[in-house]
Amino acid sequence: MYYTVVTINIVNVAFRYTTHGGCMRILLVEDDLEAATYLVKGLTESGHIVEHADDGELGLQMAVSNAYDSMIIDRMLPKRDGLSVIEELRRMGNMAPVLILSALDDVDERVTGLKAGGDDYLTKPYQLSELTARLQALTRRAQTGLQGTVLHVGDLTLDLIKHKVTRSGRNINLQPREFRLLEYLMQHTGQVVTRSMLLENVWDYHFDPQTNVIDVQISRLRSKIDKDFDSPLLHTVRGAGYKLQEVGSTAELT
Amino acid sequence: MGSGIQVRGKLLKWFDQRRLFRTSAFRLSLIYATLFSTLTAATLGFIYWSTRDQIESQVDARLRLETEYLINLYTSGAMPELLETIQRRNQIDTYGRFYNLGSEDVDLDIPEQSEEALPIRLKSVRSHTTRNLGDVADLPPGSLRAFDPVRVAETRLSNGVKLTIGHEISDEKALLDHTFTLVLGATGLTLLFSLIGGLWIGTGMLRRIDSVSRTATEIMSGDLSQRLKVTSRDDEFDEIATKLNQMLNRIEDLMKSMQQVTNNVAHDLRSPLTRLRTKLEVTLLEERDPENYRRVMDEAIGDADSLIHTFNAMLSIARLEAGIDSAQWHKTRIGDLASELAELYEAVADEEEQGNLSFLSSIQSNPEFNCNRHLIGQAITNLLDNAIKYSPHPASISLSVEGDNQSFRITVADNGPGIPEHERDRVFERFVRLENERNSPGNGLGLSLVKAVARLHSARLTLEDNEPGLRVIMHFEKRKRPEKVRGKGKIIAVSKQPAANPQLA
Repeated sequence: MYYTVVTINIVNVAFRYTTHGGCMRILLVEDDLEAATYLVKGLTESGHIVEHADDGELGLQMAVSNAYDSMIIDRMLPKRDGLSVIEELRRMGNMAPVLILSALDDVDERVTGLKAGGDDYLTKPYQLSELTARLQALTRRAQTGLQGTVLHVGDLTLDLIKHKVTRSGRNINLQPREFRLLEYLMQHTGQVVTRSMLLENVWDYHFDPQTNVIDVQISRLRSKIDKDFDSPLLHTVRGAGYKLQEVGSTAELT
Repeated sequence: MGSGIQVRGKLLKWFDQRRLFRTSAFRLSLIYATLFSTLTAATLGFIYWSTRDQIESQVDARLRLETEYLINLYTSGAMPELLETIQRRNQIDTYGRFYNLGSEDVDLDIPEQSEEALPIRLKSVRSHTTRNLGDVADLPPGSLRAFDPVRVAETRLSNGVKLTIGHEISDEKALLDHTFTLVLGATGLTLLFSLIGGLWIGTGMLRRIDSVSRTATEIMSGDLSQRLKVTSRDDEFDEIATKLNQMLNRIEDLMKSMQQVTNNVAHDLRSPLTRLRTKLEVTLLEERDPENYRRVMDEAIGDADSLIHTFNAMLSIARLEAGIDSAQWHKTRIGDLASELAELYEAVADEEEQGNLSFLSSIQSNPEFNCNRHLIGQAITNLLDNAIKYSPHPASISLSVEGDNQSFRITVADNGPGIPEHERDRVFERFVRLENERNSPGNGLGLSLVKAVARLHSARLTLEDNEPGLRVIMHFEKRKRPEKVRGKGKIIAVSKQPAANPQLA
């Protein structure tokens, strides 16, 4: 059996529950050792604690005996299939967010994975930044649970019931789709949100237009919520995506 | 030489017949033959038996009358008249009847000696039997009539005297025998004809099956272009042959596309991979400053991303062409989908410098269509992306939807260089990039994917001249049956279409 605790960072563990979207304790179940090594390295460098299991049985065992903030589980694993690991965990009442990794890129596959109890699905090969962003989005969702009907970021507020957006008390008129976009960004305040996450969650598209349609939508939104104000809220994260955050906030870009 | 061929031909024929006995047609006809023959035999047998019964009872009735008459004479004591009557009737012998009055033990004796002893009241036991004439009548030795059938009524009288009246039934018997022969003959003939019919049908079927299996053998030995013969009879064999041919078309297409994928992987992934490898190798040759390394690695990531993109597109196309796509089919409002996309691209056009890119959408209807929404969206997006990529500034691009639930069209048009008519078939092939687009980014898979999506949805794809520019039209039709793949050339009749619009071409 292969069992490694790659990093035990005492300081990080201590701050686990204090930092938001920062350090997470992550279980990685992946049988490709090389890929796993790089992933562990990448996630560790982003400040997370990663524990790695290289087969389904071990993964399930570790998931049951430790509390993880989130799990990354490969779809095809030796000894026990990734989906069955997730199903078993859910059956036992373990609700930790799970990101499924798979070499099978198909909408059907995605649906099967999510049905089994996974929270998000990422196709190999993936960008590390995409994986981190999705992982954070998942953890955040799990931590905050249901949010109120009014979202706040700095002086920007979005009222889900009245369908109203204001900044510094000034009304901002948004198109329905822009409203959904802002809502999604505000629900993931301080986190990097990638273009494909936006396409999937705001437009429900599981395909990627070659044209920079998302960038254009973001720039339109930015012109509405940031243009006439001193401090910008909507930031572009190079090579990854976008982030809605109040300037001066402590969280680092990932 | 000639006899050898003849023997061989006979052997083959015998072999064929042996096979014939195993065909289901023959087996069935055998069962039916047995069934029908049995039924025929039973019917005719019934007729035979009842005719026989009828004849016997008629004869018996006449015999009974005669007996009654003679017994009346006997009981009334008119013995001389009785004997005289018997005598007379025996002499006439016209009706083939004979009479005999005798005691139990002394058969065929003229019972003159017992006439006084006859009692007045008689209790008689009568029986009717069929015998040979020789057994009951006094015939000259060697008489031909000895074996003629005769119906005999015997009446035993109480004093041991027996009155026997016989009636020849040769004619009736002959009729019955003839009927019996007919019954046997008819049954035999039914059996024979059914068997011949069965053999005939079986041979016919075998011939059709043989043709199918011959073609199948040829296909198995590698010639996938072979097709089954379809006759003009349009019977069930033709139906199966047509279906099998469609299946073969599909298989051939799949084989071809698989081969193409393999070739494409070889050509179009190998060269960028080589490029990437060389780039990294060259960078490692010398000590370089960190900035240089960073730049090269950034480029390498970009190269890898584009490889992944190409690879994904290839996989999607292969999967679509294999028809693997099931769960994601839902009723989708095409107009809504197009409007959403139009909104996105309108925004892109707005962001461009004034007049560089104009985007026009004309969503005239909102047809409902059972499809994979993501794939249709992807196809429209690919067309729009292509239009933007290939149109020089100021570009004008349009997206339109028109039609109803039964049939509708999605059109994407641009004012770019267009595609010359002779190239229009080729652009749908994978990795084909026309001369004038060699230097623009892209993997040449966009239109292939559109084609694959169209095919999966049984849509027809046509390219037209937009004067100037290109107009791509996807014609969708509501499917009557959930049949995803139709005959060859029906779905992607791209090559045939431009000819239908000569004034446009």
